[in-house]
Amino acid sequence: MKSTLRNPYVYLLFVLPTIILYCMFFIYPTITSFVYGFTNWDGLNHKAFIGLDNFVNAFKDAEFRSSIWNNLIILLFSSCIQVPLIVVFALLISSVKRFQGFYKTTVFMPSILSTSIIGILWGYIYNPDVGLLNSILKNFGVETIYWLAEPKLAMFSILVTNAWQWMGFYIVLILAAILAIPKDIDEAAMIDGATGVQRAWYLTVPLIKPIINVVIMLSIAGALRVVDIVLVMTGGGPAGSTDVMASYMVNKAIKFGDYGYGSALSIIIFAIALILTALYQLLIARRQERIEY
Amino acid sequence: MKKKLTSVLAVSMAMSAFLAACGGGNDGKNAASPSASESASPSPSASESASPSPSESAAPKVEPFSMTVRHIQIGEPRKFRLAILNSVLDNVKKDVPEVSFELDGVEDSVNRFTKLPAEMAAGNPPKIFSLFAGAGDAQKYAKAGRLLDLTPIIDELGLKDKFLNVLDPWSVDGKVYGLPIGGNTEGVFYNKELFAKYNLEAPTTWDALIKAADTFKQNGIAPIAVGSKAGWVPNMFVNTLIGRIAGENANAGFITGETKWNSPDVVAAYQQYADFEKKGYFTKGELGKTYDDMLNDFIAGKAGMMFDGSWRNSAFTDQLDAAGKPAIGAKLAGKVSYIALAPVPNGKGDQTAMNANYAEGYGFSADLNDNEKAVVKSFVKNLFSDEMQLRGLLEDGVLPSMKLSDEALGKVTSPLLKEVLDALKNSSKTFPHFDQIVQSKVYSETETQLQKLIAGKATAQQVGDAIQKVQDAENAAAK
Repeated sequence: MKSTLRNPYVYLLFVLPTIILYCMFFIYPTITSFVYGFTNWDGLNHKAFIGLDNFVNAFKDAEFRSSIWNNLIILLFSSCIQVPLIVVFALLISSVKRFQGFYKTTVFMPSILSTSIIGILWGYIYNPDVGLLNSILKNFGVETIYWLAEPKLAMFSILVTNAWQWMGFYIVLILAAILAIPKDIDEAAMIDGATGVQRAWYLTVPLIKPIINVVIMLSIAGALRVVDIVLVMTGGGPAGSTDVMASYMVNKAIKFGDYGYGSALSIIIFAIALILTALYQLLIARRQERIEY
Repeated sequence: MKKKLTSVLAVSMAMSAFLAACGGGNDGKNAASPSASESASPSPSASESASPSPSESAAPKVEPFSMTVRHIQIGEPRKFRLAILNSVLDNVKKDVPEVSFELDGVEDSVNRFTKLPAEMAAGNPPKIFSLFAGAGDAQKYAKAGRLLDLTPIIDELGLKDKFLNVLDPWSVDGKVYGLPIGGNTEGVFYNKELFAKYNLEAPTTWDALIKAADTFKQNGIAPIAVGSKAGWVPNMFVNTLIGRIAGENANAGFITGETKWNSPDVVAAYQQYADFEKKGYFTKGELGKTYDDMLNDFIAGKAGMMFDGSWRNSAFTDQLDAAGKPAIGAKLAGKVSYIALAPVPNGKGDQTAMNANYAEGYGFSADLNDNEKAVVKSFVKNLFSDEMQLRGLLEDGVLPSMKLSDEALGKVTSPLLKEVLDALKNSSKTFPHFDQIVQSKVYSETETQLQKLIAGKATAQQVGDAIQKVQDAENAAAK
């Protein structure tokens, strides 16, 4: 047995299936789409190499630029507005004495639903004629609001839905970190006369910083990945105002039959994701210190 | 000995895992990237279809096999057409008892713009599928060798002269690659009850149309129902406006360069649409409304008029379907009329011309074996028969794509359907929708730009310029 496990080829044999699957479903498609990115392939006819034309066109394309901007809006919304709210909710839930389990389950619930269901559900909530939201607002004399049909409101409506879906998941993550902090630290501060807000801000938040960083990183990754909720709720409309990079790419590649251009867009999306992740790693994650109680 | 045994066991386990992965992996590879191999030879099956293998045709016994039928007859308003499809498939099973069908119902625009193009690119379309005519669809796939040449089947069944003159958008180089199940015209449905309530004349003239629109607006009713979440819905109205304002021959000229999207006439048509938009003649929040919402608004009496395809007439019938259920708009039965869009003042060309399309039909994969081809032949024979054409007309309100006798046409009892037939009869000329004429990229651009116009993000001139830019590129690429 020992001699077998000392043989490196045995290990290789065990990992080979995974490596093959990985190459087939990740490496190979990545390489082919990289190659397609430099062609004018329309999915049906012979493709011709057209150099960097697709990439040049992408940056000239005002609609693609606006879809990048929409991704950035989602990114900023999720890291600057959502994350603070997540922390506040987690702090609130951690300090309730009764029904903590109930709150935990309730906030977590949306993240176990599939995005399509959430999209359709909120589609009804936002429905201008019979939707819940407008029915409530009508009682206050507000006129019909076209949440998903008004270009200025549609993005905001999607942001709220997206936040509703994912906040619970992150709240539970942070809650776990808060509950793992030894009680005596908090009690010591209490004896010293620190108020609840002071304890939360000066004690709890610094102690859960590593997990907040993780949540921010996951939010950034999530924001760049967002596409399903957009496709279900608005399909990128009205008039392209909620198009994100991925939905725009799908439209261009499949609906317009422009696989070459679509592949070029996917490379650009990949590059943007890479740059943002690298920036985050360099600027924030590196400076993290380990916390020991 | 023991050591050896363990090592042999470990290696054999690893190998079996490896082989299992290979087995699954091959399937995965085919599914993941068939396009790579397909694209190298765009029509691997075209030669097969031309020369059926002798060994297969010699085999007398046929094993049971199944074929996928992709159709778009889903949802309440299309249930009559689904019933016809099911009858046809039942008849096919009598001809070819070994076949079983897997019905794959997909929403119209999802099939046309998302699913079918992806399958065509991958080279694995369903065997029988709903197909749209024209340069952006049937002709494009035919040129790429993806569609079965139906000419031999049509000749064998003697169907060639039975069709109206409607097969051009389905043909490439004289060969037919798809067949239209029927036709339609696009015009104005109006709610007679609401018109009577507000003492309005039928919108047969432009002034009457505008007066009706203003009156409805003042009374809190949307003048014209529309659901612009999908761009093709408002595009129907734009197409007829182009026909009215730039002339009935205008949209045939986009692909030849004779008509420009940014020419003053076409821009004027877009401007007309924008003016209606500005005056609030369309449903509020239309960019969030679907095609079904448009019908629902009209049925609920929230709108006085609706610009739609004549196929919608079957929604307003009081006939029950096979399951004994009423049509979706049964409560408006007898209260809806259908007319061509009124002549537009200062419009060019023949103001009585009407849009007419024979663009929805079926196509078949080029990759078929002999048994499957027998099924296709039977499918064509059963679907494109006088009986089914008449059923389509009477049950579903779809205009026939084949020549029907006057006696057969005389069986039409629905007053609304009679109005549709009359409207078409009274029009001196017909013109097709540009969605069967222009390339798919250009068509997609018209949808994108029209939605921008509706949202107020672009002017009529900007819309025309943007579409013409894509048209120029596509026309240049086609040369």
